[in-house]
Amino acid sequence: MTALITAQGLSLRYGRKTAVDDVSFSIAPGRVVGLLGHNGAGKTSLMKALVGLLPCDGQLQVLGLQPRRQRTTLLESLCYIPDVAILPRWARVDELITLMGGLHPRFSAERARTLLKRTSVGPMDKVKALSKGMVVQLHLSLIAAIDAQLMILDEPTLGLDVLSRKAFYEMLIDEWCDGQRSVLISTHQVEEIETLLSDVMIMNEGKLVLAISLEDVDKRFVALSHDAAQAEAMAAAHPLLRYRVQGGSAALFDGAPPAEVQALGQRMRPSLVDLFVALTRAPEMNRSQG
Amino acid sequence: MTESTLPVSRFQTLLLREWMQHHRGWLIMLGAPLVIAALLLIFGSVHFGDSEAGPRTSPNPSATALAMIAMVATQGVLLAIAWLMLVLQLTGLARRDQQDRSIEFWLSLPIGHAQSLSATLLMHLLVVPCFALAVGLLVGPVMAMLLVIKVHGVSALWSLPWPSLVLAAAVVALRLALGTALALLWLSPLLLGAMAASAWLKRWGLPAMIGGIAMLGLWAEKVYGSRVVWETLTELLFEAGYAMLSTVARGHNFRFDPRDEGSAALGELPAWAGTDALASLQALASPLLLGALIVAGGCFMLLILRRQRGA
Repeated sequence: MTALITAQGLSLRYGRKTAVDDVSFSIAPGRVVGLLGHNGAGKTSLMKALVGLLPCDGQLQVLGLQPRRQRTTLLESLCYIPDVAILPRWARVDELITLMGGLHPRFSAERARTLLKRTSVGPMDKVKALSKGMVVQLHLSLIAAIDAQLMILDEPTLGLDVLSRKAFYEMLIDEWCDGQRSVLISTHQVEEIETLLSDVMIMNEGKLVLAISLEDVDKRFVALSHDAAQAEAMAAAHPLLRYRVQGGSAALFDGAPPAEVQALGQRMRPSLVDLFVALTRAPEMNRSQG
Repeated sequence: MTESTLPVSRFQTLLLREWMQHHRGWLIMLGAPLVIAALLLIFGSVHFGDSEAGPRTSPNPSATALAMIAMVATQGVLLAIAWLMLVLQLTGLARRDQQDRSIEFWLSLPIGHAQSLSATLLMHLLVVPCFALAVGLLVGPVMAMLLVIKVHGVSALWSLPWPSLVLAAAVVALRLALGTALALLWLSPLLLGAMAASAWLKRWGLPAMIGGIAMLGLWAEKVYGSRVVWETLTELLFEAGYAMLSTVARGHNFRFDPRDEGSAALGELPAWAGTDALASLQALASPLLLGALIVAGGCFMLLILRRQRGA
């Protein structure tokens, strides 16, 4: 199956500062990919490069196009929510629908109105009169009404309360993800989107330290819960991360630990949060991936 | 769902966006003076001549002349207001989308940077002044009626040559619209330069541009004894003025006798406007304009570069 995004040796610099450092990955159709990383890890820069808003070195193809050179054509088949609360505040909702209809060839005004009925936003509402959560719902309704193959969302729920975040993700999954379209979504709320994702990419200081499906996460990474008495033995096996879980201790390993170590604990599924913390705190791992 | 969006309709939508965002301000700025003028004509009084110079000896202007004056003045005032709005808004336009943070939204849509900027410039620089002229053309007859009624009474309305008056007003509107377009060409390096400076240097843009031009002018004068900077600026401003009203500005008077009942000038106006427009068009064949357009093109590229960088 042809990948929607293919990046090879992608780098992006702001002067002497390297924001994205020699990153390679691909995203196939029908995937929901979470892009995780600390503030300043390079997520937003990578996403801007993917939609042609920032120049980069290396090879990059999105939907078979070169984003920087073919930005306008690319954005006809790609939806992009770059940030929260960026809709023009002077506009009314129905005006935005009219504008999107004239500016985007794959936008359906009818579908946008249908999606808006799921929200508490009315067609005559002014954007400046809406709450932050309602603005994000409106933005997703507009973007989800575009018949595109790929959606890129950069921290779409940043600063929203839990109900607004839940409503956003419900609408995203119900109304847009159909098994053929792909979504690349960056967020800090790792726990909330873990169940939605099919794949995860983790960035740390500009480098892509992990790009893997969640199925393969379970195969590759091993988490062992253990008693405090086994702590020293676990530490001697050099886990990626040692952490507390449900009142006990746990250790996370990249690959299966030796059988004698496995026997000291009970295998459990590693959470995405623990994996994220492990990979973005372990310098030896970053070096080996870089 | 639309199958495809043609570049033309996309451009029209961008123009529509400008209208949606700014139409209230434009309508208020253009409508308020008209309402005030109408109220003054209804409830105020109209005097001609210098009342302090003693008893009047000359009669009032003819009804036809008054109607013509009112119609042309309406257009002129509204065009002047449109130009004033342009000057006041121009530097803000350069950073408008960055300031309200909507730049990220517009950049997420399949619109070229040049297309976005062109629509903004076309709307604010040309369409709004032409819209002001169109409003003046429509409202001018109403102002003319109010003025004629005030000075000559209601009965004078029936004796007015309305078809000739409306034709003359339309000719003036067309001449001013062409003049606006041509004046914009002459002023384009200054207007786009101010925008580009504001886009890159924010609030310091305009002072920096004025200071830069002043320093360049002084440097050329002190070091080389050349007044080329001042002369170029003066020439650009004069040519912009000539573009609006070429023959009169160059000292050729248009004969208009306000006491003429038939207002012979009405008949001569279309021919005069044609000659005047031709003179403005002929003035375009100038190396100065070529240089001005090259500078304006450079400023436009600077604006595109700034927009490419987003917020």
